[in-house]
Amino acid sequence: MNVWKAELRLLFRAPLSAGALLLLLLLTSLSVAAGLAATARQEAIIERVEAAQRMDLASVTREHGKPDGDAGSAAYYTFHLTTDPPSPLAFAALGQRDVQPYVLRVRLLGLQSQLYESETLSPELALPGAFDFAFVLTYLAPLVIIALMHDLVSGEREAGRLRLLVSLPASGRGVWGRRGVLRYLLVLGALLVPLGVGAAISRAPVTGTFAIALAAALYGAFWWGLALLVAAWGRSSAANGAALMACWIVLTLLAPALANAVISRSIPVAQGVDLTLAQREQVHRAWDIPKEETFRAFFVKHPEWRDTPPVLGRFHWKWYYAMHEVGDEGVSTEVADYRRRLTARDVWTARLGWVLPAAAVQTLLHRAADSDLLAHLAYQGSIEEFHTRLRDFYYPYLFQERPFQKADFEQLPLYQPRPSSASIPGSPMLGLLVLAALVSGAAVRGVRTLSSSAARE
Amino acid sequence: MNSRRMKISRVAAEEWRALVRNRVAMIASLTLAALLVTSALLGVEQRNATEATRARYQATADEAFDAQPDRHPHRMVHYGQFVFRPLSALAFFDPGVDGFTGNTVFLEGHRQNSANFSEARQSSLLLRFGQLTPAFVLQTLAPLLIVFLAFGAVAREREQGILRLLLAQGLRPFELAAGKLWAYAGVVAAIAAPALLVLAAAALAGWAPPVPSLLMVSGYLVYLSIWAVAALLVSLLVRRSRDALIVLVAAWMGGVILAPRILPELAVARIPTPTRIETDVAIHHELKQIGDSHNPEDPYFSEFKAKTLARYGVEKVEELPVQWAGLVGMEGERLTSGLFDRYAREAFAREAEQNRLVRRFGVLSPLIAVRQLSMSLAATDTESHQDFLEQVERHRYAFVQALNLMQVTKIPNRNAGADPRISADHWKTLPSFTYQRPDVLLLAGDRIRDNLLVLVCWLAALLVGCGLAARRLGEATR
Repeated sequence: MNVWKAELRLLFRAPLSAGALLLLLLLTSLSVAAGLAATARQEAIIERVEAAQRMDLASVTREHGKPDGDAGSAAYYTFHLTTDPPSPLAFAALGQRDVQPYVLRVRLLGLQSQLYESETLSPELALPGAFDFAFVLTYLAPLVIIALMHDLVSGEREAGRLRLLVSLPASGRGVWGRRGVLRYLLVLGALLVPLGVGAAISRAPVTGTFAIALAAALYGAFWWGLALLVAAWGRSSAANGAALMACWIVLTLLAPALANAVISRSIPVAQGVDLTLAQREQVHRAWDIPKEETFRAFFVKHPEWRDTPPVLGRFHWKWYYAMHEVGDEGVSTEVADYRRRLTARDVWTARLGWVLPAAAVQTLLHRAADSDLLAHLAYQGSIEEFHTRLRDFYYPYLFQERPFQKADFEQLPLYQPRPSSASIPGSPMLGLLVLAALVSGAAVRGVRTLSSSAARE
Repeated sequence: MNSRRMKISRVAAEEWRALVRNRVAMIASLTLAALLVTSALLGVEQRNATEATRARYQATADEAFDAQPDRHPHRMVHYGQFVFRPLSALAFFDPGVDGFTGNTVFLEGHRQNSANFSEARQSSLLLRFGQLTPAFVLQTLAPLLIVFLAFGAVAREREQGILRLLLAQGLRPFELAAGKLWAYAGVVAAIAAPALLVLAAAALAGWAPPVPSLLMVSGYLVYLSIWAVAALLVSLLVRRSRDALIVLVAAWMGGVILAPRILPELAVARIPTPTRIETDVAIHHELKQIGDSHNPEDPYFSEFKAKTLARYGVEKVEELPVQWAGLVGMEGERLTSGLFDRYAREAFAREAEQNRLVRRFGVLSPLIAVRQLSMSLAATDTESHQDFLEQVERHRYAFVQALNLMQVTKIPNRNAGADPRISADHWKTLPSFTYQRPDVLLLAGDRIRDNLLVLVCWLAALLVGCGLAARRLGEATR
């Protein structure tokens, strides 16, 4: 135990090591605080929007909730609010929540023309990415590990203590293990203590928090192993530092940017535009074709309304909404294709995790925090389900021509936020584990041979 | 005088020789050069592909509009138009916020739709690691390379005891500093050369606008020089080269990686923005208060009716020679658009305030200044996007009102029948949207000047610092 304490004292006597560790602790705490502030802000915005929505709904009810009220115009003027509150772990990995809308209003009209509305966002502020735990872990923690580890061996040699150190019978071999493990644990502590506090504050689920902590531990182990490996090669401190910085640039800046360029090129997604253009044609064409044609397509899915009286005049609300549903129906293959492509982009990013630890850790964190592209697709899916509920609610009024009165407004379906789609994906975790094990294993072997080679110097 | 110049160039030549002999330095520099060239070529290819896709979509959407059958004009108001934002030529060099703003807007009556389908919303998280563009390489990676090349410029010589020797042989500290400065000016030029040659070639080929390209070149040269001079300054000040490296890497971390991410947090926390929904509700509410065109008792619209009747000298709306519903539609569109404009202006102002907060820190982090400068010059900054949105809104208003006017004049006011329509020939007379590319020097002249000024001041301050440090060096060794 005393030896450990001595090592600790030694470590903190070096200004660079102590400074790097304290800085990491400080930045992690800051990032957790910033993440918590950001999720609190999102929740506050949701509350504000809910208030605005209540006001709007009240005025619509006043205007259209008359004894002879018409369900068609009620449905036309009533917006329904959907929200996607942040998951309790979102503070750690804000992901795409700054660019994807988490509040969206829909009406009974065609969903595909409403689903892709974007929120007012400041692109310039979103450009650099969020300052959250995921950022500190992915980019900054490796740098601290590099600062702590790069001169582990060379520092001793440059101070002239190396031969002495390896020739000591008792501590010769254990000293590197002890020093390495100590540094690793301190870095992990600086990362995980603030994360744990944040998780406790936001009452995050234990498994998710544990998964993030495990991912952090494995990612840290990868960098630790890499740094130890380079340190054990026995070059000068400066050369080690430069080599590790080069690894950092390639693994966290260059390779992901390059991979993104490749992925976005091989899986283009202009289909989003295609499907809105196609949906518009479908809806507007319906004004120029016989109404029976629209109803024929509509009754395939809704045989229950087949026997209602036919629409004779120029306009009837039930025809209007039928035409919107048929419009959505008509682009369903495009929609499926669009979603498939978006998912494919995500799948390839996850696969990248087998070779790129930074991609693996990002995938893992954001999946566990339910703040990635898949989470947004899940939100869109839940809006779609809600929209179906809206149709089921309004159609009896429209097709049975029942009046829509004040009391009916109170029966309006309410959107319930979707259950979290968070998961703990196995493959990036396994990828991280394999990468960390490979590199650490090589590092440990490197250190073992080091003692004998250093003794020969 | 001449001997001084000789000494300076001798120092520079020695430094270059040392750099060329340093294998790691050469490999790193060549890698960066390769990266710059690849990213520029990729950027050109990507930019042209994106531009072609958007142009193709625009053409299809415009054709579809013209091909619509005979209809009531109001149906066409809701059929609407799609507009795609064209990319500027220099977007290949710095795509700026283009990946984060939507690039297509749907235009229809009584509504102001948002720009949708941004790349950021459709990409995996990888996009957030940064895009591999010449701007990214020059802003983020090149400074680090310069730091690694230059941190030991003086500190290493001091460590190895050569410095004392050199000064004892009669080399003035000022000459030493100047020589090193000269050496690293060359390094900066060499590092930036591939990207800048691409820019120059694009400008000479008439593909990119020449003056912004030239300013872009100067901006990046000043930015990279800042890093070179900063490295030299630190190298002059600290005792060990290792400390110099740590200080410089920390500065890079803080200025290039950390500050750009922390500052936006501050900005959104300080200046909250209303959501789209809140804005929509507020606009709707205000419109209600102005007047309700469907309500015959409504004071605003009964006054509008009285005025219209007086203008045409008739007693009842049925006697009007033009279509009354169309007139009401035009008046309604005028009112809503006025509100849209006001809310859009307020939103832009708030966004500008947020950005100002971040940009003010350009004084602390040259990266923020150069990023801003580069985006402005490439016409890919927030303001260019807003300029596009404003043009789009002007077009929307003109096109909706043109259709409303067709309703007023072409649809009979009385006995129009159950399904009144006008000839499809009219659709072709409506102009499709053509984006007037702004002259960035006019649109962003102030910001370009301010950011260049910030960068030049940084460079000047660091140069003065080097001068002072060199003098101290002389005093210390005397």
